[in-house]
Amino acid sequence: MNEENKVMNVREAVEKFVFDGATIGLGGQNVGRLAMAAVHEIVRQGKKNLTIYGCNLSINMDILVGAGLVKRCEAGTGNLEYFGTTFCFRRAIEQGVMEMEDYSHLGMISRFLAGEMGLPFMPTKSMLGSDMLTRQCKSTGKKFELIRDPWNPDEPVLLLPALRPDVALIHAQRADATGNAVIDGFLALDVELARASKHTIVTCEEIISEDRIRSDAERTSIPYLYVSAVVEQPFGSHPAGAYRYYDYDAEHVKYYQKCSREGGNALEGYLKHYIRDSETFDDYLEKAGGIKKMLVLMKSMRRMV
Amino acid sequence: MANFSLEELTVIEASRYIKDGETVFAGTGLPLMATMLAQKTHAPHLCFVAETGPIAPIVLPTPLSVSDPRLQYRAVRLGSLREVLGCLLQRGMMDVGFVGGAEIDEFGNINTTVIGDYGRPKVRFPGSGGGNDILSHAKRIIIITRHEKQRFPRRCTYITSPGYIDGPDARAKAGLTSKKPQIVVVTRLGVMEINPESGRFQIRKLMPGSSVEAIMEATGFCPDINGRIEEVTTPTDHELTTLREKVDPKGLYSKKV
Repeated sequence: MNEENKVMNVREAVEKFVFDGATIGLGGQNVGRLAMAAVHEIVRQGKKNLTIYGCNLSINMDILVGAGLVKRCEAGTGNLEYFGTTFCFRRAIEQGVMEMEDYSHLGMISRFLAGEMGLPFMPTKSMLGSDMLTRQCKSTGKKFELIRDPWNPDEPVLLLPALRPDVALIHAQRADATGNAVIDGFLALDVELARASKHTIVTCEEIISEDRIRSDAERTSIPYLYVSAVVEQPFGSHPAGAYRYYDYDAEHVKYYQKCSREGGNALEGYLKHYIRDSETFDDYLEKAGGIKKMLVLMKSMRRMV
Repeated sequence: MANFSLEELTVIEASRYIKDGETVFAGTGLPLMATMLAQKTHAPHLCFVAETGPIAPIVLPTPLSVSDPRLQYRAVRLGSLREVLGCLLQRGMMDVGFVGGAEIDEFGNINTTVIGDYGRPKVRFPGSGGGNDILSHAKRIIIITRHEKQRFPRRCTYITSPGYIDGPDARAKAGLTSKKPQIVVVTRLGVMEINPESGRFQIRKLMPGSSVEAIMEATGFCPDINGRIEEVTTPTDHELTTLREKVDPKGLYSKKV
């Protein structure tokens, strides 16, 4: 095993693996396990003309769109459920400044599955009979192919092209220095996404020893082979949560939603105060309530695991 | 019988469409309330599955998201989107799926994507999410929604998730595996269900104080009327107290009278 130490800070990781025009896959979902420290750093570095891939895109995508860095999304949805829609996403599409190519969640998963197994495409029986097959963005090439099942010629089957993002942003609870990552709680799309991507940046709550990985190897969600950078960032998913570590911060999510819904100065104010004027993610966490707030979120989680 | 709100009764009525032992796919909000209510009343052995990966959790009140830790508590498996959408739903193992929609048309098609031009829409909604996958593969689909004319147009301007598309055999022609799913809509005015013979909605039940005229008034198409229209049974004390005390104790989703 190549024991390269991949630990770096998030600034170095984004400098190294995210570039203008990159295609980025976002792990996690809604208010669970988002790689927010990496997202903030992309905003600080102003990487632009990005394409975002994912299933249920959330605040992670919405902040990048709000900062004007995204030209296109291919995903299942932009949505925060109880907390409303993703307002920057919605506005950018309605104003024609960003393209969204729609797939179902299983459609996107099928594309990552093809990507992770080195296949050109994946069949699915979802999306048939829907307008996801009749409408598409101007710049999208061949979105799908409809074939007959070769073993059952009466049955139409949809083929969707593989996805291989330039870089995946994954937040895990733990990882060792070489990149073996352990995810607690639901996996969402993260394992398929990481294996499909050319590079994966893993931000994690804590870095653990290789010995701990080796003594409990069936818990390794993503082996080091797929990982290019490891960043230790406690509370790195805030305001989303991290299972077994801390609950999501509903108050802060509501505050972000208020700013993003209003747009304009309110949104700019949020981006400036919390992200651009913060040198590090730790600075942001201080502004978002600091240790007191984080303890409340930790205690809330402790009651549920 | 205590006082109840029509909102509470829609959740209670929806819960009655879940049978014991069934696998149920639901997001948060009223669908999850209906699922939890069914589990705590007549369907203790139902298997609730959430999109992000949890299988059969003991849900703590009250999750606000499918990524909520309250929805992962003591699950038998915390899996992935692939496992839930692919290995359960597409594989044909999901009995019941809940969906919502900005537009629901007379064939049970659902729009959660755009109003207007796709590239430059007048209104952009969140998109399919797992909704298209549920409509494509679940055996029974339950929709809880407000009953208003613009929500029930004759045709969706964009079909995100296929109901019966444009007729009784259209799903088979499109290649969908689940050819004649049961599709039920529960609202404050009543219950409509797709008639698999016509592929169109027909009125099945009326909520207390509602009427066929009230439904026609609030629906952008003309639902069929075939046979007897029943009254929705009012809540039992057990259903109502379970909903209020165990399912949504903070009243985040279902408002009391």
